[in-house]
Amino acid sequence: MKEKLIDKYNKVFIKSFKVKKENLKKLKYESIQQWDSVGHMSMIGMLEDAFNITLEMDDIIDFSSYEYGKKILKKYKIKI
Amino acid sequence: MKKKSLNSLELLAYQPNRYPFLMIDFVTEVIPGKMANGYKNFTNNEWFFPIHFPGHPNVPGALQLEALAQMLTVAITTLPGNKGKATHAISHTVRFRREILPGEKLEIETKVLSWKRGLCKGLGKGIVNGEIACEAEMVITIPEILDQFIPKK
Repeated sequence: MKEKLIDKYNKVFIKSFKVKKENLKKLKYESIQQWDSVGHMSMIGMLEDAFNITLEMDDIIDFSSYEYGKKILKKYKIKI
Repeated sequence: MKKKSLNSLELLAYQPNRYPFLMIDFVTEVIPGKMANGYKNFTNNEWFFPIHFPGHPNVPGALQLEALAQMLTVAITTLPGNKGKATHAISHTVRFRREILPGEKLEIETKVLSWKRGLCKGLGKGIVNGEIACEAEMVITIPEILDQFIPKK
């Protein structure tokens, strides 16, 4: 069965930052220790691999929260 | 990218550590962005042997790991535009398998698993007389590049 996009998106955050699903919505850059500059780049890399995309530099910089990330992915035709 | 080697003087342009903390002597083969191999000779003159330990000199594990990390750094700093840039260690997982004694030569093999936007993940292996002495998974960064991609506060 094909994995839902939201599940795929969530999995990246859960794996990158070791957080629980119920805490994803309020997740922002530097709101937890794991989402620092290095964590950010690892998460972006995992996201690119998961969705087979390459994010532009401005989008990587703007990707400052779990929720805002969904808006950014729309630019890449990924509607979560 | 073309293979090249770097002698003890040439490698200084790609590796900012200096005596007594330079832990690589020669880069026998580097393919920028892919791998770097070389060696470090540990003679009786090394500064740490008299203190680590008196009567039983051997190379500190931290310095073995440093040798692997310095070699991996060369695989990245030889990429176009990275020469002379400072690198930082992010995380290393290391396993030591054998002591390294005065007079022994540490052959160092490193491989880049990924290099993207200032972040490098790689593997390193230290070999003495055909035996693995240490091996590590390493993450290093060039902060100057990484910082260009992080969200602004």
